[in-house]
Amino acid sequence: MTGARLELVLGPFRQMRRSLLGWAIGLGALVAVTVAFWPVFRDSSGISEAIDQLPAGIIEAFGLAGFGTPAGFLRGNLYEFIVPLLLAVAAVGAANGLTSAEEDSGRLELYLGQPVTRQSLFIGRSVALAAWLTVLTAVVLLVQLASGAAVGLEVDTARVVSTVVLCGSLALLIGAVALAVAGWVPRPALVLAVGIVVAVGGYLVAALLPLSDALEPLSRVSPWSWALGGDPLVNPAEPWRYAALLAPALVLALIGVAGFVRRDVRAA
Amino acid sequence: MTMDSPPAAANPGRSAIRIAGLVKRYGAVEAVRGIDLEVRAGEVFGFVGPNGAGKSTTIRCVLDLLRPTGGTLEVLGRDPRRAGVELRRRIGYVPGELRLPERMTSRQLVASIARVRGGLDRSLVDTIATRLQLDLDRPTRDLSSGNRRKVALLLAFAPRPELLILDEPTSGLDPLMQHQFLAMISEARDAGATVFLSSHVLSEVQRAADRVAVLRAGRIVAQGTVDELRRRARQRVEVWFAEPGPRVERTQIPGLEDVVLEGRRLAGTLAGPIDPVVAALAHHKLTSLVIEEPNLEDAFLDLYGGEA
Repeated sequence: MTGARLELVLGPFRQMRRSLLGWAIGLGALVAVTVAFWPVFRDSSGISEAIDQLPAGIIEAFGLAGFGTPAGFLRGNLYEFIVPLLLAVAAVGAANGLTSAEEDSGRLELYLGQPVTRQSLFIGRSVALAAWLTVLTAVVLLVQLASGAAVGLEVDTARVVSTVVLCGSLALLIGAVALAVAGWVPRPALVLAVGIVVAVGGYLVAALLPLSDALEPLSRVSPWSWALGGDPLVNPAEPWRYAALLAPALVLALIGVAGFVRRDVRAA
Repeated sequence: MTMDSPPAAANPGRSAIRIAGLVKRYGAVEAVRGIDLEVRAGEVFGFVGPNGAGKSTTIRCVLDLLRPTGGTLEVLGRDPRRAGVELRRRIGYVPGELRLPERMTSRQLVASIARVRGGLDRSLVDTIATRLQLDLDRPTRDLSSGNRRKVALLLAFAPRPELLILDEPTSGLDPLMQHQFLAMISEARDAGATVFLSSHVLSEVQRAADRVAVLRAGRIVAQGTVDELRRRARQRVEVWFAEPGPRVERTQIPGLEDVVLEGRRLAGTLAGPIDPVVAALAHHKLTSLVIEEPNLEDAFLDLYGGEA
């Protein structure tokens, strides 16, 4: 039975190898190329001075505070927005590719005709998503550490690790939102749309609401704020931040399972 | 290939599938409108009807892929909703709308399914593959629909299941492979398996099935042995008399309809038994008498009555 359970994780994971490779190359290249510009940036003082001229709200919204420092450079160019967003989009795509897209195309039918429960099939695919995202996050982390070391970008390794892991955890949470939808409604377009809206909407809430003093407290509802609100490249991240991302991710995956065992399986 | 180790017959002489009052609704659409059906253990049961009649919906309820709106299902003595895993271990299933996972070869897919099932007899897999002329080392995405069907047939037959549920199993197969398929079905039956076979191709059901249910628009419109259905079918009768203008009237030949009399030739269709026709014709001198063998296709078309 354990062999069957393992296959329900590894089988879907193997199907997603190619997309994993694509995302790893894309994100790895983005990180490496961006980091490679650090020496140029450091040596041209004009840019950070120009940023200092910007209104405080803009600097805050776009994560440009301390842009001239190594941590500020990484945050503003990569970890404030683009890397967590791309990881989240990748997670939503992978969640959809493992569940609703497969179901919608009728490719789950052959496996669901086997002696497995719906529950174990969906859990297997959820675990495959977590594994897929773990590998992608690890690639981003390794490229970041290696390229940072190569150009002498000095940020505490522990801060870099925790920042990238928080980005990966945020992506897993948003991927789990997609799983929850896919468990109840096997419509790939809906699953993708909800996932992307949560990813982008969460960013906007976390980035824009703090511009208004009245709305600032509301920005805390965004998982982006839980993940990156403490400026993890500078300050050690509190343990609750990981829990706040991973615990709901688990709950959302289980909500997906609860839907999948109850409803009709969609035929091609 | 011989099915040398017969599947354990769990309930000999009993029903393999018992469906009572099955209803399945999708929103306002009623795909299945109250089906009663019994498939006896050890028989080959044909489930015939045009596309959209509700065949796949019924089958997917049997496998617990769909949840019925109403009615009861009993498969191998169990409720599929409660005993899904146990039942699917005893069932080999070929889906009607068949899509295989991509980016792998058929052999890798078979290996994956084998791991999910906790093992498949490798030599039997190879035997079936050879028999179906299936190259297991080709990527699944490059396979024709017929070859994909062969992969699914292999996966259904290889566990030597007690119950084979085959939804449109031969679509895309060439005639030679259809022949192989029919042989595999009868061997499985000889080994004690029950076969539930759906098709809109009547000839294959006619050749393989002991009993048939005909489905139209979510209801069973006829059920019985192939012979019984055939008896209900219209037969074309053509008579050539030795002398022109015999005094034959329609009323003299009970059951003969659409009668056309031209010179020495009389033609018509016969819905009832053949004896009265033969008896009526016995008074005349004939040069030729043709009574065409009815096939299920005709029986089937009769049942649609043009309203399908």
